[in-house]
Amino acid sequence: MAFVEVIRRSMRPEEWTDLRYVWLKRGIIKEKYEITDLQIKDGRQIGENEYIYDSDEYRPLKKGDLYFTPDGTAFIKGHVTIPDSLVNKELVFTLHTAAEMIVKINGHYAGGIDPNRDRLSLNPWLIQDSREVDLEIVGYNRSKPDDERNPDAMDSRGCRQIFEGAYIAVVNQPLLSLYYDLTILLDIAKSHHFDEDYRTYLNTELNNALNLVDFDTYEGVEAASHYIEEKIYQNTDFRSSGNVALVGHSHLDIAYYWRRIHVIQKNARTILIQMRLMDQYPDFKYAHTQPYTYEMLQTYYPELFAELKEKIQSGQFEPVGAMYVEPDCNIPSAESLIRQCLYGQSYYRKEFGITVDNAWLPDVFGNSWILPQILKKSGVSYFVSNKMSTWNDTNRFPHNNFMWKGIDGSKIYACVPPTHFITWNMPSQIQENWDAYQDKETGGQTLSMFGYGDGGSGATEEMIELMHRFEKLSIMPKTEHMRADEFLHRNLKDNDQLATWDGELYLEMHRGTFTTKSNLKAYNRKLEFKLRDAELLSVLRMMDGTPYPAKELRACYKMLLLNQFHDILPGSHINPVYMDAMKDYQELETRLDHIIGSGSCYFNTLNKPRTSVTFIPDATGNIVRKGQKGYFAYPNTLALSTSNLSYTSNEDSSWFSINNLQADTPYYTITFDPDGSITSLFDKQRNREWADGCLNKLHLYQDNPGMYDAWDILPNYKDVEYPMQVEKPLKLLYVDNTVAELRTTLYTPSHKSTWEMAVRLFHNSPFIEIEHIVDWDEKHRLAKVSFGCNVLSRELVCDTSAGYIKRETHTNTSWQQARFEVCQHKWCDFSEESGGLALINEGKYGLGIEENGMSLSLLRSNIRPDILSDIGHHDFCYVLLPHDGNAIDARINDLALEYNIPLVKADVKTPNWNFGDLYLQAVKLSEDGKYIVFRLSEQNGHRGSIQLPQAVKTMNMLEDITGETTTITYSPFELITIAMTF
Amino acid sequence: MEDYICNTIAPRVQGDGGWVEFVSYQDHILTLNFRGECSKCTILDRCLDWICQEVKRDLQEEITIHPIRLKPFFWDNK
Repeated sequence: MAFVEVIRRSMRPEEWTDLRYVWLKRGIIKEKYEITDLQIKDGRQIGENEYIYDSDEYRPLKKGDLYFTPDGTAFIKGHVTIPDSLVNKELVFTLHTAAEMIVKINGHYAGGIDPNRDRLSLNPWLIQDSREVDLEIVGYNRSKPDDERNPDAMDSRGCRQIFEGAYIAVVNQPLLSLYYDLTILLDIAKSHHFDEDYRTYLNTELNNALNLVDFDTYEGVEAASHYIEEKIYQNTDFRSSGNVALVGHSHLDIAYYWRRIHVIQKNARTILIQMRLMDQYPDFKYAHTQPYTYEMLQTYYPELFAELKEKIQSGQFEPVGAMYVEPDCNIPSAESLIRQCLYGQSYYRKEFGITVDNAWLPDVFGNSWILPQILKKSGVSYFVSNKMSTWNDTNRFPHNNFMWKGIDGSKIYACVPPTHFITWNMPSQIQENWDAYQDKETGGQTLSMFGYGDGGSGATEEMIELMHRFEKLSIMPKTEHMRADEFLHRNLKDNDQLATWDGELYLEMHRGTFTTKSNLKAYNRKLEFKLRDAELLSVLRMMDGTPYPAKELRACYKMLLLNQFHDILPGSHINPVYMDAMKDYQELETRLDHIIGSGSCYFNTLNKPRTSVTFIPDATGNIVRKGQKGYFAYPNTLALSTSNLSYTSNEDSSWFSINNLQADTPYYTITFDPDGSITSLFDKQRNREWADGCLNKLHLYQDNPGMYDAWDILPNYKDVEYPMQVEKPLKLLYVDNTVAELRTTLYTPSHKSTWEMAVRLFHNSPFIEIEHIVDWDEKHRLAKVSFGCNVLSRELVCDTSAGYIKRETHTNTSWQQARFEVCQHKWCDFSEESGGLALINEGKYGLGIEENGMSLSLLRSNIRPDILSDIGHHDFCYVLLPHDGNAIDARINDLALEYNIPLVKADVKTPNWNFGDLYLQAVKLSEDGKYIVFRLSEQNGHRGSIQLPQAVKTMNMLEDITGETTTITYSPFELITIAMTF
Repeated sequence: MEDYICNTIAPRVQGDGGWVEFVSYQDHILTLNFRGECSKCTILDRCLDWICQEVKRDLQEEITIHPIRLKPFFWDNK
């Protein structure tokens, strides 16, 4: 039977209600008086609260003027005398704008104005018996609003704004109250999350209520409110279930579509707004994360910081998140994550006298398996992170309130809230949260965060007003506004019903962030190890009487930690953020090199003997590696010891031959293709072939993930591949008694990028090193290098920086299918019981899992948020290493450490430190300056014990002493902190 | 003009997630590519006026801007 859709052309009853809701909003301001004495000065922020000005002079600012410029800050000052008609009334200051403003009235921080709120209370700031009002506004205009989910904010976006006037005004409070009633009830009426009959009932009764209002005079507002109270709020015929905890929060990206210098003001505005809401609503509580943001407030807004301390004391303002910033939790090393906690908690302890027991990471792009242990040993029992529930593209993460078991077996309480971390506290969002909550029977309440964010701003008056009406609505789940710690303690603590998730918290999304902006990743890796060396050498020199540069090292670490923020290190930011980060990294390297100093000998900072072939920078050397001249040597240096190395040219190349791209070394017979890929890798020692298809095969794929360009690699990225063209076929360029170097030059089909590949084979080492020197100018391309291995295995073993994780290489279920691209640290390994292939890298994290091996993600070229992402010069290396046994038998982790931690020139004495097979991850002076602190890491999955020559203190990761021992007993993947006096 | 656009105007636009590139300048007609957030800005005309004012103030030239919007493929749907 034919169906004809009826399209109504006249207004439906619901549309009539919507229209009157808009009219109601127009009546909120009852009386207003324009402030005409306003002046403006334009500036641009160039540092933390540092500006340059277009002119030193202020100019008049009139209604209708264009104001703000791209990336501009406006300084507005004004004066108004309250007119007779408004004296002794409750007044507000109101200004509608897309900008983010901090407003001072009569010298006091009165509040904030931004796209999410356009008025603030005036009376608390009036001078007694005076009608004079002085205004000072610092406004920072962003074309990208705090929160793109707010339609009002989107409507007013843009760099150049029209000044709509500033006013002192009187609010029609009864009308405002009715407006809030309509806001909450219309949200329910429009939401499919609620009972259909109730929504029909609501539509009828809202129409009835609004019929009582004269929209010309706004008479009848009280009658309408009374009607709603009696007919809707007192109706209990419609019931719901559920129990939702509401926690006020604002997500604040330290850098993203804005630079970190801008966050100084964003943060201050957010905190100011929330504190003013606390003044207005004594029951309102708000959770603010990242000690770094508190540190910045303390530095640049001491007056606000003093007020903040009182609010923290009273319990309304809650510091959450033990980590210094909300870091990416895939790429930073274990020691970096520990320092995030150490410096974060140290700040909280020093300034507020508290140890925060939660990690608050709502927006991070998945979480490493090493986190539970680190958090637990840093005073953190609770972990909160949202994205796995709302962003996974394949599987529904099965828990919301649960236990998370880490790589070492440590367990912490975890909450992955069912919905987004940015909500505006609407009934539909709360109901949706409850509906999606999977641990209804075991997890207690579910967590719903409310408040605008990404760039701060936070909760609004409207969100709190709505919250005060929730208990009147029987259709809604029970709600309770509380602090974050109250939610966690009440529902998770000692809850033995909670299910356990044992494994990494892999986010099935944003897989490109392991690769995007590869220079940042490589620099981060390099500096993590330089910090290790700088601290270790400083300790050794301190033992010889040189003062330990504690303040400088702490400052350096904090600079690294800041740039590990989850929209900086992953690469999901605009170009100026990248430039800031690279500038920071360059400065950091200079400062660390200064601390590391120099010497006449080469020092092995590893606590294990060093045997593998190593590149030694030397102007007289014949090899150019990563732009530096040098030579390869076999240091054979003992742990924490020095050795003398010098270059002596030996041109005997009899160990090496090549014929028609078939190279012969003491270890291998290798057949190359002209593009540098290896079609056969025959292992002479093991009498076996390692290649199945091609090893070291370069691929160029189309990479069009869409809106989340910098973030995502799609599962079908292999659909379109562009063949690389060979400009100069592989040929031998250099050979001496140590190394043979072959080079090839390729280019992309667009001819825009050149790709030089150097393959290095060694006389006395099974290492096969490949260097890529790339001038990259592509758009929407992903470069990978694949390794098809003649290995029968179902597991790819990947370094996490504190132990290894095994990932299945088959695609039997949707869980393996979703993990087609994962994060690794220094190495991965694909082995049978008798041997396999390891791939050791210097700063690459993205890894494709293949049925017969792996593919290393090398470069991307996305255009959002940064048009120039990854465009430019790149130079990176990795080593392919066949070996006996599995990765542990072959000491791959130790070799990867050697590859990543070069010998340093330093004249220091060998210390009497012996920690057996444990990796000395860090040595430092304790924060209180009393001890030498050692961080030891078991990375091979072994148990054991080490007898120490003297008693040592045991510590947690916050450097609190927990005991004393003469024996270190360790278990698989354990991180141990001990301390000695000196 | 190219130097002014690249080194004075572009950094300010980039600071806000936008992107402007110099294409040509001839007979007081300045052609610019707008990418990134600028490519879909509904009030780009206001920025064009601002650039004209800045050029007039700093380079003493009266110009007209010919903008070319280069939207990324995922926004290029109209």
